[in-house]
This record gives sequence, structure tokens and C-alpha cells, in this order.
Amino acid sequence: MDEMLGPKEIIGPNEMIVHLGPQHPMQPGPFRLNLRLKGETVMDAEVELGYIHKGIEKILESKTYLQGITIVDRICYLVALTNEECFVGCAEKLLGIEPPERAQYIRVILEELSRLQSHLLGMGEFGEFIGFVSMFMYTIKEREDILTLIDMVTGARITHSYLRFGGVRDDLPAGFKEKALPVLNNLKKVISDYEEMFNSDRIYRERTVGVGILTADVAKSLGVSGPALRATGVPFDIRKNEPYLVYEDLDFKVCTETAGDCFARVQVRLNEMRESIYIIEQCLDRIPGGPIFPEGTPYGRRTPVMRVPAGEVFHRVEDPRGEMGMYMVSDGSDKPYRVKVRGPYFPTLQALPPLIKGTTVADVAAISGSMDGCTSEADR
Amino acid sequence: MDARTIIESLTGKFPEAISEAGIESPIRIRAYVDSEKAKEVCQYLKDSLQFDHLCSVCGVDYPQRNELEAVYHIASYDHPVVLMLKARLPRDSPEIESIVPVYWNANWYERETYELFGIFFKDHPNLKPLVLPEDMLGEWPLRKDYEGFPNKTARNLV
Repeated sequence: MDEMLGPKEIIGPNEMIVHLGPQHPMQPGPFRLNLRLKGETVMDAEVELGYIHKGIEKILESKTYLQGITIVDRICYLVALTNEECFVGCAEKLLGIEPPERAQYIRVILEELSRLQSHLLGMGEFGEFIGFVSMFMYTIKEREDILTLIDMVTGARITHSYLRFGGVRDDLPAGFKEKALPVLNNLKKVISDYEEMFNSDRIYRERTVGVGILTADVAKSLGVSGPALRATGVPFDIRKNEPYLVYEDLDFKVCTETAGDCFARVQVRLNEMRESIYIIEQCLDRIPGGPIFPEGTPYGRRTPVMRVPAGEVFHRVEDPRGEMGMYMVSDGSDKPYRVKVRGPYFPTLQALPPLIKGTTVADVAAISGSMDGCTSEADR
Repeated sequence: MDARTIIESLTGKFPEAISEAGIESPIRIRAYVDSEKAKEVCQYLKDSLQFDHLCSVCGVDYPQRNELEAVYHIASYDHPVVLMLKARLPRDSPEIESIVPVYWNANWYERETYELFGIFFKDHPNLKPLVLPEDMLGEWPLRKDYEGFPNKTARNLV
């Protein structure tokens, strides 16, 4: 089964094969990483997938569009709202409808909250992988406040089934803004605390600075996107390059670093969290009143059967991990003919073996952890 | 670099290989490519039209037409246009040349498309299953006539 050991290949006299995973405490999700080691040095690596393959694309072909919203939540259950946004966005383009402005603002608020909690979990997990176990406790605590806000609106902490074609399932509850602002203000302080901790902790810096360096050109050729790409200095962000919802009207920066190492990737996420907070505050200030579904269309919260005109579309959104796209083909029935999910972590995980070649075993966990993976989405 | 310029450049350079080229929106273009020329076209897209970002490769099954389609979504880090490049392949022996030499990250996409649809990518460096077990090779589960789901599943319940 090992690619690195073909029928003609033999391990060198001082080499050995080490299998990391699929269940391993230093692994971001269930996949197997086969390492060929010479002493502490990784000579070659191979990723094996399939442990959490759910057949989502096949399932979508036999479910109605409305049912599909619940299915796509499970692509990456940690950030279900961007999965939904991508799926719903495809169908909306085929239907030729657009959500009312209020619904768009609500979607942006929820999706940025989702980005915040995803980055918090990712940073905590990363800290755990490099032995900084307290970090996980700190970020999980703050993440819980964000999940409470999301739960307040959608009724679920992680698998929301909240977006609908042309709108959102329910409006924001009364008092949401008054509850959200203190949480966001607290988060600003917390982010500064994390940053100070990262910058001043010598052990942390030794384990992250100069480790797992990606350059801009290499990152582009590997197909990497998201914070891992922006840490190399490439300001590629779908919210800016191909704006959807009301992102065009909002003021925010694309956060980049230049070093391209583990430290830079975490720094990008910290800065992005600040921008997310800023985005949410703008939305809470500006959100207009009005309906959450377009008037005069048959689509909405209670439509049990929805036929989508025949056609095909490719829609992209910015997931916390990078570029998420979906290619949807419709044949005019109430079920999609074909949905191809382009997850952000799939190419990033593919890029992991060349990235860890030549490093030490101890740095493998740091490098793969700093990519903030979600194997559930890579396997689909 | 805008959609019209790209379409004109592409059809001008490959008049025989490119067909049904069209502009769907200012940032979405679509074209069919002859399956024999897909790799050449991708190389030109990357070298001359700044399409340096392969978004995805996938397959779609059209049993009514007795064909499969290989669908490539190719984008750029420098301009917002996304090209959907499609190749029609016969259903009984779908074959197309691998574009891994042009786009490194096509590797996993092609492996995945192979195990799910049976589209064979010639000269792929390592064409083997990615997420499915090896004993499912040949079943091509994402083809429309696959009996494993939901039919076989339902049958197993009784």
C-alpha cells in the first residue's frame, strides 16, 4: 500500500517507515501520513485519505436542494455556514434570484462569526500539537461565546442548516446586537493577549519561526489558498477578488505576512480575526430593516419542492481555510444533477508532503497543524 | 485581461481544438476542448493568459448522450476570470491526457476523478484510488448507473 515502497524500492540502511495516524494526537483529523525517516529527518512523505469519506457528492444527487443544505453542513462541520453559502449561492445563480439586503447582512454576520470560531479552534489545536496545551483551553473558552451567539440565531452550534435559497431561515432575534458587541469587545482584548503571548514566548517562537516556510511562487504552484497562501504575501481572498453578498460595500483589509512560516500563518489568522470583528461591527451598525426573503418569488423558507432551471454554475466563497468552490449542474428537476465540491483544504493537504520533506519529525506536527486542516472536508 | 480578450486569444490560438466558447459573465467563461489537445491548451493558458491557479478537475456523467465530461475550472491569482474547460469523452473508454505536468495540484483531482468516474488520465504519475478502497476500482460510483447507492443500500436493509 505504501507508495514510497514500490516493488523495486528498498529502505536505505538507516531509514525506517513511520505511520502517523489515522488516529494520532498530533494529527489534524483522520488521515494517515507515512514518513520515511533517516534519523530524525523526513526523507519522503505520503498522505493516505479515505477514513472519513462520506460520499457527499453522490448523496447530493439523490436529495432535493433543500435537503442538500443539511448535507453540505457535513462537508466541514467546523465551518458549516460557508459550505451552505457556497451551495445556496450556486442554486441562487441558477434560479436568478438574489437575497434581500437584510438577509445578505445577516449571512455576512453569521459567516464571519463562523470564521472567528474556526480560527480560534485552529489556533488552539495548533498550540496543542506543538506542546502548548494551554492554548487549546484559552481558545475553546472564547470560542464558546461565539458559538452561543451563533446558536442564538440558528439553533445549533455547528451544523446549522440555516441558509435558504434567496434568504435565511429566521431573522436575527431581538437583542442580538446587545449580546454580540460585548463578546466582540472581549475578543479584541483576547486577541491582543494571544499575540503578546506568541511574540514573547521563546519556546513558541523557536518552534514556529522559520519552520515550514512556503514562498509565494511555490504556494501558488501547489494550489494553496487561504491563510497559508496569504502568509506568503499573496493577497488572494475571494471576498475581495470576487465579492459576494455585501462584502463589496464593507471596509476590510486582506491580511498578509511575508515570512510564509508557521508563525506567519498564525499571525495572519489573528489579524483576520480582527478584521472579522470589524466586519461584524459594521454590519450590525448598517443592517437595514426589511424582509429576509425576496417578495414575489415562490422560493423561501417553506417551499417543499423547488425546481431549478437547467444549467451549470461555478461559485466561489472564502472559507476560513481558503477558497471554497462548488460546481453545480442542474437538469431542471428538484434534485441537483451533479455537485462537485472544491474544498480549500484538499490542495493544501496535497501540498503537505513536499512541504515537510527535509524537515524533522517534531516539525511535522507544527507544519501540518499550522495549516489548520479539516480532513472531513478533504475526504468529503 | 478581460473575458472577451481571453476568449478571442484562446479560439485564435486553437481554432480546431476549442469549440462552443462563450462568455457567461464578466468573470466566467466556458469552452469545450478536444480531449487530445487539453494539455496543450492548459499549457497555453498558464504561459500566456496568466491562468496560474487550477481550481478543480471533476467529471460529470451524461448517459443519455453516452458520454462523460471532464470539467476543469482554471482561474488566476492576477485577474478574476474563471474558465470552465470541458472535454467530451466516450463513455465506454474515457481517456484524456493528464495535466499534472502543467498544474501540479491536478494530481489528486485526477486520481479522485478516476476512481469515481473511470476517466483515465494518461501519463498520470500515480493514478490510483485516493479516498475509496482499492477493491472499489472499476465500480465508478459517481456514474449515474451505479447500483451501490441508494439501490444496493436499500436492498441490504431487507
